[in-house]
Amino acid sequence: MPAGNTQLVSHEWQPLPGAAGAQIYPLIRKIDTISSNSYLIQTPDAILLIDPGGLPEQAEQLMQVVTECRREKERPFFVILTHAHIDHFNGIQNIPAFAYTDAAVLMVQDTGASTLERGDGGMTQANLMGTTISPMRVGHHILSPDRRDHPDLPVEICLPNGGLLTITVSPANPVSLLPDRETIVFGEETSIDCYHTPGHSPDSICIRIGSLLFIGDLFFAANPGIAGIVGWSQEDLIHSFEGIGALLSAGGITTICPGHGRLIPAEDAVKTLAVIKRDALALANIAELNRDRAVQAAAYAEDSMEEVNELFTIMAGRLYYVSFVLDELGESEIAEEMNTLINGDTIDELLDAFRLFAEEHHRGGGVSIHLALKAGQVVAKLQRIFNKDELAHIIDPTLVNRAARLLSDYTTMFRGFTPPKEITVVDLPTIIETLVAGLSVPVCSDEDVMSSADDEKAFARMLLARIGTRPLLEDVEFTMLENRHPLAVAIDRDHFTDLLTYIMEDLVGTGSDTINLGIARNDPDVSVTIAGNISSAEDDGNRKNLRFLSGLTERAGGNLSCTRNEATGMRSYTITVTSVI
Amino acid sequence: MDITTTNKDNATILSIAGRVDTATAPLLEQAINKEIDAGHRKVLLNFSGVSYISSGGLRVLLATAKKLKTPGDKFSICSLSPEVLKILKLAGFTSIFSIYPSEAESLAGW
Repeated sequence: MPAGNTQLVSHEWQPLPGAAGAQIYPLIRKIDTISSNSYLIQTPDAILLIDPGGLPEQAEQLMQVVTECRREKERPFFVILTHAHIDHFNGIQNIPAFAYTDAAVLMVQDTGASTLERGDGGMTQANLMGTTISPMRVGHHILSPDRRDHPDLPVEICLPNGGLLTITVSPANPVSLLPDRETIVFGEETSIDCYHTPGHSPDSICIRIGSLLFIGDLFFAANPGIAGIVGWSQEDLIHSFEGIGALLSAGGITTICPGHGRLIPAEDAVKTLAVIKRDALALANIAELNRDRAVQAAAYAEDSMEEVNELFTIMAGRLYYVSFVLDELGESEIAEEMNTLINGDTIDELLDAFRLFAEEHHRGGGVSIHLALKAGQVVAKLQRIFNKDELAHIIDPTLVNRAARLLSDYTTMFRGFTPPKEITVVDLPTIIETLVAGLSVPVCSDEDVMSSADDEKAFARMLLARIGTRPLLEDVEFTMLENRHPLAVAIDRDHFTDLLTYIMEDLVGTGSDTINLGIARNDPDVSVTIAGNISSAEDDGNRKNLRFLSGLTERAGGNLSCTRNEATGMRSYTITVTSVI
Repeated sequence: MDITTTNKDNATILSIAGRVDTATAPLLEQAINKEIDAGHRKVLLNFSGVSYISSGGLRVLLATAKKLKTPGDKFSICSLSPEVLKILKLAGFTSIFSIYPSEAESLAGW
């Protein structure tokens, strides 16, 4: 398998560019959160393994290659971690050749070394991944603060595997911006430079060998679902980006070897750095991504995806309906165009992929963060193919805007921010009356359509909107009880109107032909009750989306309860918000 | 998804159980087309066992409605779950074909 658009090939030995006599065996994996790439390097002096990965089978596969190397020529063997996250080292935990003999010496930056020695489940992300780690012995602490007292002074160290290291520490240079560096010479000639690049984790390092730079997860550190993990630091990350930018600008590096995914040519990496630095700068005040938040994000992901699924299916269906009607009117060309506005097949595939992933997740007791990450991928793809502006001209803007807000709120939450909640003081009856009016009459009337008849384009657009929009309450007997003016309340207007729309949509969609809406003042609260008649056969009493609606009510600035009156056959939702005097 | 086909009162009833999604919608379309091609032009879909319908499934329903629009043809759906009923209603499909609570009520109208 090619390792990317560079000259290196995965699963094969080849010369290591810029390091005479050294060979490299990259093991490049598709990107996931289970296991990293691994890079095996052999020189006449030593065998080095950068990041053995998170899977035992990967570590065993690498160990076979190492054994063959040692059979050809016995040399000391070192395992170097770009950082002590579980997906970069967990594979070696229970393999004796790595963990329990002096055959392999583990080398980790000082902070990460301490993390491993105490078996820290938080900093290694073991907790986030729902597992534990055993304490591990680290043979060499890279960039140990003890050696800072003797900068640029080579120190020789003999290790139990027979290896001889010569260590030289060079402090960060504030002028050139180059980070703290430790140069390690293995035996006579094999030299590597380790640069301290914290941010993704406190112990992250970048390793230069020849013209290759091994960067661990530095380039992923600003991604949603990664930014904010335990040990993450925005300030350190930005500083590290500057340091690595300076290193790349200094020249001599041709290829970046990341912890996950394909290799990156150095010139592309410079451009990537600028983009991710901008992303990182926008990440001030994000919440820590720990296990609790991952569980919360996974629940939010499932609730949101269920609603996304429903809204996108309805929107696609509505476009098919428009297309059907146009076809009946002999406008088959415009009908065809309608079918291209929303790619139903792609959307179905994306939503199906998430459902299958979620089912597998629940069957196998999966890890919450993986579910949240999967939802993040699906939402990002939906956002890319969702032509919101064009759709809002044809089908009900309330469907389109709610779908857009759902995707946007999930992205915001997933990036570690609280979804925006703009609480303002509004007059409640006015808000409700405006909403109900919008849900009761067509976006454009027959008169609007007729008056645009002279302009072909305007007429076509008006006709499309006339067919594509269907007022939710047009065939419903709607009654608004107790309308007191004025009644000031503190709510997030957009989320509140979304909430009422979701509730009324649920009632109408499941067969209610009567909706009563009442407002009651119980200082300091105001309650809004929406009730619809649903036959008991169609009311499961425990609507699946109640958790989603409760979350939305919270974002709207209130709280929600749902009851069913068997005697009257009415299902009622009561939203309680705070009044403002 | 399972499809059981029966004939009753000169109507062809396809009882569907499972999800009508990307993977299964083409199978439903094939089963319906097979009946139409055989000259059965009064088709009732019993959705009592359908828990989910995707946009691909909606497209199959519209394609069927297009095929069964000559005088004397009948096409309707019955026994929908609340979830599927909601999708069909909000997508606007209830104005294209009839939806009934049960097989008996549907066939009574034919």
